[in-house]
Amino acid sequence: MNFSEYVLSRWDTLSLAATEHAVVVGIAIAIATVFGVGIGLLAYDAPKVRSTSVAISAGILTVPSLALLTLLIPIFGLGWGSTLVSLTAYAFLPIIRNTVTGLRGLDAATVEAGRGMGLSRVRLLLRVQLPLAWPLILTGVRISAQMLIGIAAIAAVVDGPGLGTQIFEGLSRLGSVNSLNATLAGTLGIVVIAILFDLFFFAVRYITTPRGLRVRP
Amino acid sequence: MFDRDTEGVRIELRSLTKHYPGQPAPAVDNVTLDIPAGELVVFVGPSGCGKTTTMKMINRLVEPTSGEILIGGQDVLSLDPDQLRRHIGYAIQQVGLFPHQTIAQNIGLVPNLLGWPADRISARVDELLSLVNLEPSAFRDRYPRQLSGGQQQRVGVARALAADPPVMLMDEPFGATDPITREHLQNEFVKLQKQLRKTIIFVTHDFEEAIKLGDRIAVLREGSHIAQYDTPAAILADPADEYVASFIGQDATLKRLALMRVSEVSATGSPAGSGLPQVSADASLREALDIMIAHGADRCATPSGVLTYAALCEAVGTRAGEQEDVVSSER
Repeated sequence: MNFSEYVLSRWDTLSLAATEHAVVVGIAIAIATVFGVGIGLLAYDAPKVRSTSVAISAGILTVPSLALLTLLIPIFGLGWGSTLVSLTAYAFLPIIRNTVTGLRGLDAATVEAGRGMGLSRVRLLLRVQLPLAWPLILTGVRISAQMLIGIAAIAAVVDGPGLGTQIFEGLSRLGSVNSLNATLAGTLGIVVIAILFDLFFFAVRYITTPRGLRVRP
Repeated sequence: MFDRDTEGVRIELRSLTKHYPGQPAPAVDNVTLDIPAGELVVFVGPSGCGKTTTMKMINRLVEPTSGEILIGGQDVLSLDPDQLRRHIGYAIQQVGLFPHQTIAQNIGLVPNLLGWPADRISARVDELLSLVNLEPSAFRDRYPRQLSGGQQQRVGVARALAADPPVMLMDEPFGATDPITREHLQNEFVKLQKQLRKTIIFVTHDFEEAIKLGDRIAVLREGSHIAQYDTPAAILADPADEYVASFIGQDATLKRLALMRVSEVSATGSPAGSGLPQVSADASLREALDIMIAHGADRCATPSGVLTYAALCEAVGTRAGEQEDVVSSER
């Protein structure tokens, strides 16, 4: 059986695995974005909160994914629970970091003018600082997503969802029938998902970046 | 609040002090100053003298350590800072327009915060753009990044004027432009202020700008101590001390001539003298002198008569007899 025959014959399994892969990454990214941007908002102007949150999220990222997934089994069990929690935890650093950098990197004069005209801190944040920092925040989210798509493959070791199962199965039966096809299908599927996510973020960035930031003089 | 009237109201600073924690000396030390209604007062001094800090205490971007600020008799420190700032125009050197909003949205920001209806804001935006010589139809829907530096500073001034506040604070609002644009903006602004009669506090380190724009000038030294507070003409004629004199530079008399118009000096005789160089009535005496020197003449023709060199000397308070000393000292 060649590769295309393999893909066609296993289409149901493969497409389900690919969908699950994308969904688990999507959910993890959504959760991490909401909390990561929130933490960034609280942290950008408070040096202690800032260094603590960046240090913790960076610390999480140094834990090998295989170890983190395994360690979470006693708490969240096999499958989706541990996968989702670990993926979310890994996603924080780029999002928090870019939110903080984006908000701190704004032109001081813009912020001062806003304060000077009587915008309250909350209004200034929501109407001026956040929209201006948004392109950079979104870049952080995109980096996290790319990272998670790769890490999600490892989730197969805790019986998690996604294309990792294909890869690990193929590798464990190396040399036997279809083992290479399975590994290849899983790997290529992940590449396709990564490209689709990137296209999605490209579109989101284009749609949500304020027009005034896109215009050329 | 104090802005029932859109014309200027009086500002009083009483023993105003700002002492940043951990600093040996206060940045602003016990400043007491009265700024009359409808006047433009320039704070001039070297960088770091506390002039900007003093200004920022008025709209409470900097909270005073002690002292009192009254605007139109109302105690500023008892008001909500955000509310207060919506009633004080604010323009800064770097302009600080919001790049993600159109020019119309930028200018309409404060009226919007004050809850004006949309059509009133829109009409006001057009009015202000015309006031600062930007064609409303061409500019209202553009974004700040599409404007030149000079155009952005005009929008900055328009934005500060948006809700027609009686009081404006301006921190080197024309500072970041090239000298030609800057002079142009200053001239326009002088005209504008003649119509508007706002109470304006204008911060600069450029004494020329201070003379040109100020009804009064407060020359500040370290700690925002007032070295001299008077009209430009009085400061030029009689600087309080060496420090003030050093700000004026070597050409105080020429600067005084620049403050006076040809029409303010009584011309003698009839302008019948055919070969005389001509000056217009609203030219400055400095320009008249320039024309005289350029033509090697000691007089020039004005629309109402003949302006003599002696009349120029008289205008700045020197006698014609001292003429030669004056000439030699000014060379």
